[in-house]
This record gives sequence, structure tokens and C-alpha cells, in this order.
Amino acid sequence: MNKQTFAFMDEDAKKEIRRSLLKAVALPGYTVPFASREMPVARGWGTGGLQITLSIILEQDVLKVIDQGCDGSVNAVNMRGFITSVTGVESVTETSRSTIIQTRHRIPEQELTEDHILVFQVPYPEVLTTVEPDTAQQKRMHGDGDYSKLWVLLYEDTSQFGDSRISNRYPVQVDGHYVMDPSPIPKYDIPRMDNSPALQLFGAGREKRIYAIPPYTEVKPLKFDDREFKVESFGNICCERCGASGVFFDEVRIGSDKHFFCSDTEFCDGNRGEEHVS
Amino acid sequence: MSYVAIKGGSEAIRSSKTFFRDMIHHAEGIGDKELQKGLIFSCDRIMGEGGLYSEKLAAEAIRRTGGDLLEAAFYMRAHRSTCRRVGDAETLNCGSMRLLRRISSAFKDIEGGQILGPSCDYVIRLFHGNLQEEEDNSLKVDSMTGPLPSAVDSMRLRDQVIVLPNHEDSPHDVSRSFPLPPYTRSSLMQVMSRGETGAMLAFAYTSMRGYGDVHPTIGDLRIGYIEVKFTHPFTGKKVKVGEIRVTACESIGSFNRDPGDGKLRLSTGFGFCLGFNETKAIAMSILDMAMHHKGYSVGGVDIASNPEIIIHHVDGIESMGFTNHFKLPHYVTFQADLHVLERAKEMTDE
Repeated sequence: MNKQTFAFMDEDAKKEIRRSLLKAVALPGYTVPFASREMPVARGWGTGGLQITLSIILEQDVLKVIDQGCDGSVNAVNMRGFITSVTGVESVTETSRSTIIQTRHRIPEQELTEDHILVFQVPYPEVLTTVEPDTAQQKRMHGDGDYSKLWVLLYEDTSQFGDSRISNRYPVQVDGHYVMDPSPIPKYDIPRMDNSPALQLFGAGREKRIYAIPPYTEVKPLKFDDREFKVESFGNICCERCGASGVFFDEVRIGSDKHFFCSDTEFCDGNRGEEHVS
Repeated sequence: MSYVAIKGGSEAIRSSKTFFRDMIHHAEGIGDKELQKGLIFSCDRIMGEGGLYSEKLAAEAIRRTGGDLLEAAFYMRAHRSTCRRVGDAETLNCGSMRLLRRISSAFKDIEGGQILGPSCDYVIRLFHGNLQEEEDNSLKVDSMTGPLPSAVDSMRLRDQVIVLPNHEDSPHDVSRSFPLPPYTRSSLMQVMSRGETGAMLAFAYTSMRGYGDVHPTIGDLRIGYIEVKFTHPFTGKKVKVGEIRVTACESIGSFNRDPGDGKLRLSTGFGFCLGFNETKAIAMSILDMAMHHKGYSVGGVDIASNPEIIIHHVDGIESMGFTNHFKLPHYVTFQADLHVLERAKEMTDE
């Protein structure tokens, strides 16, 4: 009881999760059930991502944890503290030096490589939940490739508001087959999932599902042929700290003034030639 | 064949109560301070659900029930019936709270800043290990800030938030008359404010989990102390009665056309309870949003957005009472059930 296993969970648990991951990689976009364990952080705080990270991490791995693009955000700090305390692995903020990046709500601005594994914390793994709460029916619909209810939702929103009201976790079709929930990333990050050289793993602890996008896999947002997929646009805005443009920004209001800063804080620090302090 | 009459009730009851007292008698040794300060969240929960703010009685209720919090809330509610209604206090303004903790998940930077305050959110739940033995930096919990306006106010000022119409001159008092449909917002809010934490959580969760589609962003969640003011019955002057611990949560939901002028605006929901109970305040804000902005979300099957369901099912004392009444003898009704079964059998066998 006193000596803890490497990476917290027992070896059988980690093996089971790795096997689910293999299945998920073999069936891109398909949600694989797994026996999600209780983690010492609350369900809904990233236990799915945490379990994946702990199952795949090795002593030589270099860990980066971000929340909303930020290494210093409280949840990221807490996760990183826990993972490093039970593994002893090195943790960094530099995207380029990391091998495993556990993330909530963002994909790092810097282009990922084949050496990266991106682990997403997922609140809702089932893309059909909003239009069909019945689990058995969802499974049938995935089997039949029947995404008509999603298309109807998109159509209704488009006819009323000119575009879908879905701002994040926009449904995507993976490798021309399964439609999946890309975790709550903004639309800006969706095209960056497509054909990525990095392995992308998704863990939903509360919902006990794992899914994956293998490297170099096609990921396309659901969209009508005659409608362009529009990502968040910030116009000509530049980051007030580093001057970057064309990235995803945090909008900060101070008094009545609007200010914009890079959402990816490490990217921002890198642009300024600073070492990131979290 | 022996005949066993169900008699001798008084002796059986006496013994049963003695057994129960015996079972929890160690609770007598737990002092008021330990309960009020050490089990603050238990006390707060039953003050909220019991609808009575008294730390002393909350401690007593926990002692008398062996820590069964539903039962303890029941003690508070029962005691409430013995208290005379003096009148209505001034409406509390959450903006005037002395804040221990105040966070916004919607805005990174807010007036007054994010105040993490006391929270178990970042505690690693391990019995063993060194994570919780972090060095004591001797921060005192009594450092407080405020008053501060809600972080959602900035959006309200820019006309980005839908304002619910108010058809009530004065709030309905659910403790004096149970509301009839169509339920006013004030009556729903009161019932929820006294609602059982677990029930509120479950109903709110349905809306996040598939039977509805409220996925709120917390605009402003705060715990702190707030002054209760009252007009003195003799002098007619406003006096401060005291200060209570409260939790308030304002959540932001999806947008739709404002039925008032057809403009697109965001919906919000509000949750408030006595004591520190963030889970309940958040759940309440979700239910408020689900009920009053029905049709703003996509989900088809509604539980949380049905006031008829919520108003009759979130009260823990009521639902516990009815559930536990099944322990009472039902010999007569069950006998009648068996007769009906026998009759039906005869009919179908023919």
C-alpha cells in the first residue's frame, strides 16, 4: 500500500486502456467503451485524458499539460503536478520538446509532428447525444451511418441564424466514416486535426469511452456543400504581447477596453523569445 | 397454527428508539464547534435544505441524526414550524457580498479578479501520498474582498443578455401557500433554494447528459457573507440583523431570439442557497435556465425544463418522507392487492 505503482494505476488497468486505445486507433472515430477508473480528481475534470496519459506514459516521455491553451492554468498545473508526482517524468511547457501533450479545449498553435501524442480530455464523447439521448439508438445510427438528425439540426440552425449555433465540439467525420465529437475545441482548431502527423487520443472518463484519430487521417467538419466552414475570425487583430496574428485569441476586457492575447501562452512566450513561466 | 397479533406497539417503539440512541450515542461527544466549523459543509447543506439559518441548530440536528443529512434537514424544517414569521427582510443584493471565493469560467479577466478562495477543487483525493502535505503557507481564510458586481453585469450593460419578464409585484412565499401552475419564477426559485442537493444535481445532470441540452458556462460563482437587513417593527428603521453564509451562481447558456424584440441574446440562469454549497447553486442555475429558456437548446426530451416535474420532485424532505412511508404497515392494501390478483387469475384461467 505504501509503494505506489508507476503512473498510479495498476498494470492490468493500464493494459486494458492500452488495448482499448489500439482498437480505437484501428477504427478511427469509433468510441470504444473502457472500464474507466476512479481517479483522485473529480469526474469531469479530465479523468479520461488522465487515464490515457497514465497508461501510455514512459519514463523517457516529456510531458506538457495545457488547459484552454495555457500551461499555467489551475487545472493544467494540478494535472501536471499529479502526473509528474506518480511518474517522475520531466514536464515542460515547450510544445517542441514534449512527447505527450494532455490538453483541454485547445490544440497547440505550433505544428505537431510524428513524435507528438495529443491526449484530449473529453466531456462528451457521443456526438449524437444532443439529438438522440438513447444509447442503443445511437449505436444503431452509427452502424447505419445515419447522421440525419445532426444534418437536420445543422439545417434548422442555418436557416434561422445563417450558420450552425455550435461554437465548439463541432461534429466531424473521420476517414469518411464515423462522425465524432472532437472534444470542446473551437472551430479554429478543427482544420488542424485534419491529416495531422501526431496521434490524437480522446478520453472521456465519466462517459467511459476512448476514441482516436491516427496520424495522417482525414477529419472533415459536417457541412453542407454550398456552405463554407467558417472558423472564428479575429480580423486584423494582433496579440498585444507578442504581435502574432492569425492565431486563436483570448479576449480580455479591462474596463470598457478590449484586449487580445494569444490563447496558447507558450506560443506567445516563444514569439517573445521568453522562457515560459507557469 | 399460531396467531400473531401486531400489538404491543408502544413497547416496541420505546425499544426501537433506545436502540437508535444507543447506535449514535457517540455523537453526543461531538461539540458544537467541531460540527459548525469542522463539518461546515454538512451544516450548510442542512441549513439550506431545511430553509432555516441557524448554525447552532444545524449542529444539534447532525448530533441527533447520527449525520443522516436528510433527517437533519428534516429537524430544521420541523423546527421552522415553531418559529413565528416576523416579516420580510430587505432583498439581498449578491453584489454586496463579502467574498471568500469568486470565479468565472466565462471570462478570463474580470473586475476584482478571479478569487480561488477555499476550495477542494484542486485537492488530489488520496488517503496516502505526499500531495496533500504541501507546506503550510499560513494563509488565513478570513481574508475577504468585495463588494463586487457579477461578472455577467458587463454583458447585461451591453444588452447581450435576455432579461426575463417579471410579472410579480412581490415574491410568492412557498412556505405559506404551495404555488399553482403556471409557476412563477419566484416560487420555482424558492422551492429549488430549499431543494435537496442530490435531487437538484440529478435533475440538472439530465439536461447536460442527454435529456435536454443545457451546457452552461459559469459567469459568476461566489461564496461569501452577506448582511441581512430588516425594518425594525417598532422604530421603523433599517437594522442589520446579522450576516449569513451564502452561495450564488449565475450561468450563461445558449442564445436565441429574444421574444421581446426578436434580437439575438444569451440566456442566463441563477442559483442561490444558504450556506456554502456550490454544487447545488450551479445545479439550480442550470434548472432555472432550462425552465425559463425552454427551446433555446436542442435536446428533444425534457425533464429539467418542465416546471411541473421540478417543483414537485426536488424537495428532499417530501420525497424522503414518502419513500420512507413504505416502511409503514400496508397489510390491508396489500391484502386487497392479493385479492385482485387471485380474481384476475381465476378470470384468465377460465
